[in-house]
Amino acid sequence: MSGSSGPEGRPGLHVEEIVEAEQVVGERAQEEVALGEKERTGARGRRALTTAAWTAPGAVWLLFFLFAPVLMIVLVSFWTRTVSGFEAVWTLENYEFLFDSNVYWDQLWNSFWHSLVIVALALVLGYPVAYFLAISVTSLRYQIALFIIALAPFWTSYLIRAVAWIPMMGRRGALNTALQEVGLIGEPLDILLFSDFAVTVAMLQLYILFMVAPIFFMLAQIDRSSLEAARDLGANAFKTFREVILPQSMPGVVIGSIFVFILTMGEFATVRIIGGGTVSSVGTIVQTQVASVQFPQAAASAVFLVLAMVLGVFVLLRFSNLREEL
Amino acid sequence: MRRGRWTKRILAIYFVLFLLFLYGPMIVMAALSFQGPQGAVTFPMRGLGFHWWDQLVNGPRSETIRETAIRSLELSVVSGLVVAVLAFSLSMGYRRRFRLDGVLFYLIMLALMTPGILLSLGTSFLWRYMETETSLWQTALGTNVVWGLPFAFLIMVAVWNRYDATVEEASRDLGAGGLRTFREVTLPLVWTGVLGAFLFGFTLAWNEYDRTALLAAGENTLPLEIFALTVGSVIRPDLYALGTATTAVSLIGVGLFLLVAAIVLRRRARGVSEPREEYGELAGENGGGLAAGASASRAR
Repeated sequence: MSGSSGPEGRPGLHVEEIVEAEQVVGERAQEEVALGEKERTGARGRRALTTAAWTAPGAVWLLFFLFAPVLMIVLVSFWTRTVSGFEAVWTLENYEFLFDSNVYWDQLWNSFWHSLVIVALALVLGYPVAYFLAISVTSLRYQIALFIIALAPFWTSYLIRAVAWIPMMGRRGALNTALQEVGLIGEPLDILLFSDFAVTVAMLQLYILFMVAPIFFMLAQIDRSSLEAARDLGANAFKTFREVILPQSMPGVVIGSIFVFILTMGEFATVRIIGGGTVSSVGTIVQTQVASVQFPQAAASAVFLVLAMVLGVFVLLRFSNLREEL
Repeated sequence: MRRGRWTKRILAIYFVLFLLFLYGPMIVMAALSFQGPQGAVTFPMRGLGFHWWDQLVNGPRSETIRETAIRSLELSVVSGLVVAVLAFSLSMGYRRRFRLDGVLFYLIMLALMTPGILLSLGTSFLWRYMETETSLWQTALGTNVVWGLPFAFLIMVAVWNRYDATVEEASRDLGAGGLRTFREVTLPLVWTGVLGAFLFGFTLAWNEYDRTALLAAGENTLPLEIFALTVGSVIRPDLYALGTATTAVSLIGVGLFLLVAAIVLRRRARGVSEPREEYGELAGENGGGLAAGASASRAR
């Protein structure tokens, strides 16, 4: 309570009595603290056990189906190939073969750049969508509804969505037909299907949601009054965006970029469906090696794919100090 | 102010274009599945009808498709259940800080970041190394759960962040045991989150290709069958019918969940708001103290 006046103003109370009473109260409090501490150490052991019981099943599952497989890839990449698969005899052959293969390095480099291009496109095309949903739409109800509509394709098969590009992209596909009808082109464009362009467009459609969602979540957390404050202080729309909105959305941008980068780097189903046989990626190389029972080589290819991904993520992380900002 | 309105309008138009980009191909595909018997996989439409849907259900490929669809359905339901249970249990652990919580969190996020092709490659190596005959239930179930788990875990963490732990204390103060509190207080409040976790696990497994690709020894799931039909043979409009059908399954699942969630939230909002208004003044007065007490008890 705030009214703790000194003892001198109160009639009928001696200073000694008050001091004594305070001592008694103080001691009792200490005893209680000690008692609580004893209970707490007992309870802490029990709580630790409960926590272990809750987390163990998930942890074990992840160790067996995530950690062990990744470890296995690294091990197999150093093992010897046999007719039926591999045996645990150490060798560097797989890496020697890989280092001699120009096709592989070209492909890895291509995939790396291709993924970064898709990340950049997804950012440029996805940011306005997130901005519209989070800032321009002011009613919470509309915000949720539109967000769900924009995100619903995430719950559908990306394989099907890749297949769905075939009738759009073909020589006589919807896009070519539409362009011809409008009169923009005379002849149907051949580059639309089974090309890098087609793969890029399809991947953009498949993975742009992974960019939009994190940015949306960061933008939605921005306090609207801070935008008003910026305007009141004389900042124009562009300045408000650059100095208030953009910095606060950076963690979302980085998370989204990492998502899109990794998902497109490891992609191979879309590449096969949209790219036909003409476009390949590290994923398709790995799959081909597996199909021809070259397991250790597939493992070595996979190891460098992961290293390239880690490198990419590292580069992307330079743009924002995620740990501090989250 | 006027400029703000223009920005909003332009962005709204852009948003509609974005939705067209997202949904356009799927709508075209759905439309083309209603081609007449002479119809091809692109426009123009030659006739209109259910010929290719009929092919899907009764045609020569229908047996395999039905088989793989049932297998996929079983696998996805079980995946969803495992994901829901594991995510719930993990998130229960994360309501308190514990040793290694950082390491485990990174492991969960690694599940999100590991490319599917690597997961199925490594898992196939692992079982080959253990020299065990495998089925989807030992391998694909594992990798599909790994895919759904981080999403479901994040959902559950969000649920716990909004959850008021003091109700559990109240229940315990009123004499309910730990198990009873869990069953009668905790679960009823978070079960929509658990349902959401199940749905994530279900739809992600239902649509997953990469994480099953190298693991199905002769036992194709539906996405694997679709891939084989697309890459391995000439595409016909019945593939579009199949695609439209599986998309519908996913969207109906999500729609049902949203419906349930909306109903529950509305009912809960109604049930809670009335007594709160009654005690509004009191709560306002002691609000600071109550909140401090709650956070202190949580810290303990």
